[in-house]
Amino acid sequence: MEFLQTCLDGLLFGSAYSLLALSFSLLFGVMKRVNLAFGSSLLLSAVFALWVDSILSVGIIGIFLVMLGSSAIINIYVEKICFYPHRGNYGAIVSMISSFAIWMQLDDLSSFLLPDRTASFPSFLPDSFFIIDLFIRIDQLFLFFIAVLMTGVFFYVLYKTNYGLLLRGVSFDGELARKLGVNSSRISSFAFAFSGVFGAIAAFLILSTESQVTPFFGFWCTLKGLVAMMLGGIGSLPGAIIGGLFLGLIESNVINYLGAEYRDICTYLILLFILVVKPGGIMGSAILRDERAASERI
Amino acid sequence: MSLYLVTVLTNICLFSFIALSAYLILIVGEVSFGQQAFFGIGAYSLAIFYVYFDLSIIYSIFLGMVICFCLGLLLSLLTIKLSGLYFAMATLAFAEVFRLSMNLVRFPIEKDGRATGLNGPEGFENIRWIFENNIDTLGFFYITLIILTILLFCFFILERSFIMKNARIVGKDLILAQSLGINPRPYRLFFIGTAGGISGLGGALFALASTYIEPAMFGMMLGVHSLAYTIIGGLGLPIGPLLGVFIDIGLLESIRFLSEYRMIIFGGLVAIILIFYPEGIISPRIASRIKRFFFSKGFK
Repeated sequence: MEFLQTCLDGLLFGSAYSLLALSFSLLFGVMKRVNLAFGSSLLLSAVFALWVDSILSVGIIGIFLVMLGSSAIINIYVEKICFYPHRGNYGAIVSMISSFAIWMQLDDLSSFLLPDRTASFPSFLPDSFFIIDLFIRIDQLFLFFIAVLMTGVFFYVLYKTNYGLLLRGVSFDGELARKLGVNSSRISSFAFAFSGVFGAIAAFLILSTESQVTPFFGFWCTLKGLVAMMLGGIGSLPGAIIGGLFLGLIESNVINYLGAEYRDICTYLILLFILVVKPGGIMGSAILRDERAASERI
Repeated sequence: MSLYLVTVLTNICLFSFIALSAYLILIVGEVSFGQQAFFGIGAYSLAIFYVYFDLSIIYSIFLGMVICFCLGLLLSLLTIKLSGLYFAMATLAFAEVFRLSMNLVRFPIEKDGRATGLNGPEGFENIRWIFENNIDTLGFFYITLIILTILLFCFFILERSFIMKNARIVGKDLILAQSLGINPRPYRLFFIGTAGGISGLGGALFALASTYIEPAMFGMMLGVHSLAYTIIGGLGLPIGPLLGVFIDIGLLESIRFLSEYRMIIFGGLVAIILIFYPEGIISPRIASRIKRFFFSKGFK
């Protein structure tokens, strides 16, 4: 029973990782870019929403909406300054470093708005219930369902809508898409805004289950999202979900059986092991057989 | 020179080592998020050999470098199939495993009445070589400067050799390199291993300079900073990474009066520099122009 409870906790908490990995997967799988500033853009939007709330007292719905809007705007800013100027084939590393610089900038901006280092975040649905001795928190269950739902929405947008088609076209060959009359600048802004909005939903849910914001939230988001995405397999949407859940499972089991100080070591050892043995991740394709992927540098 | 200026210059020299190691890895076309691990391994192995085994300082530094070189070779052998983000994440995982396991190792001892030794997150205190040999801050600055100059000299010799030229081709276009008959694997192994060794050398000097090391010093931020130095400075010449370090540390110190807005200004500035100089300030194109100016007056 203890093992079941641990696994359940891990799965429910892992859904938060899945949400972050999904947002990363969108940018990496579609735009072939690593956005290191992503986590801190979520942090800044959360802190900004709390600041707006402290002045105008907009309530929890208002905080949610402000987070969505500000996150979209911040991500478009990141795209315009870090990614759009380096959109050629060789710009991958440069845009990553540039987004790292913006990460520092956004983190500092959020510490301006967060003078006390920590702020409480409003939570909703704080109830919990038991099924046959298993303790379940409703908000975490909600997070889990949102993660599954968002995978569906992602899939729909990417493969069934016109925008998704354009997005995949630009990612396949930006030059060709431009020649065919696609406004690639608008499309890539759209992709960043889209991932920002989805990331903000994820961040809102995670912060309300944690019920506090700390300055480390941005770094945490970036790192956990990247690790979960690598575990699951780059660019595969079900892979992102499974990677996040797997990460949650590992962490809760390690904490339970070995102790909290071994949590991250085991996570990184497993990540290293998976990268060495099966580099494509759990759900990913074998990267070496995929010639395109092998020749791509980040 | 004032003490403050000497400290800043010493820091610039020390971080140049890790920037140069990131430069070597970027030359063969990979991105490493894990150079801070080699920096840390160099620092820790110096401290362990010097404090626990009472080896002389030269041997300690040398052994640290050898260990870092071997670990770099091992890491690049393990990740020989990986490239791009896969390689970056593998190095990050390696670095974090090192850092977090240093948090768990505790083996404190007492030496000459002072507490020292491995002590988990509290770090390794009292590496007292510079006090035992009466070396002041200026003296230590000269030592690091001399070692850095020797290293740069080796880099310039390497730059003129076929090894560097082939490595640049491997980094720019793998398929072109293979069709020219260059086997990319030895270059990758040699460059990643050497980068580990250089980073370890820097780490050892860092441990001597600060006399105290703790695992939190070798976090991911250090590794990504070293990448940023190299990208800002450019991949054209080994001076590039040094220029990047100088811009970062020098500029940050000079805009200290704006300390509250420091990272806000600096982050934006770096992004804007990269828009105008996407290949870094000393890009390969500018570097070849410089080389032509200096070395080939007989031609044309």
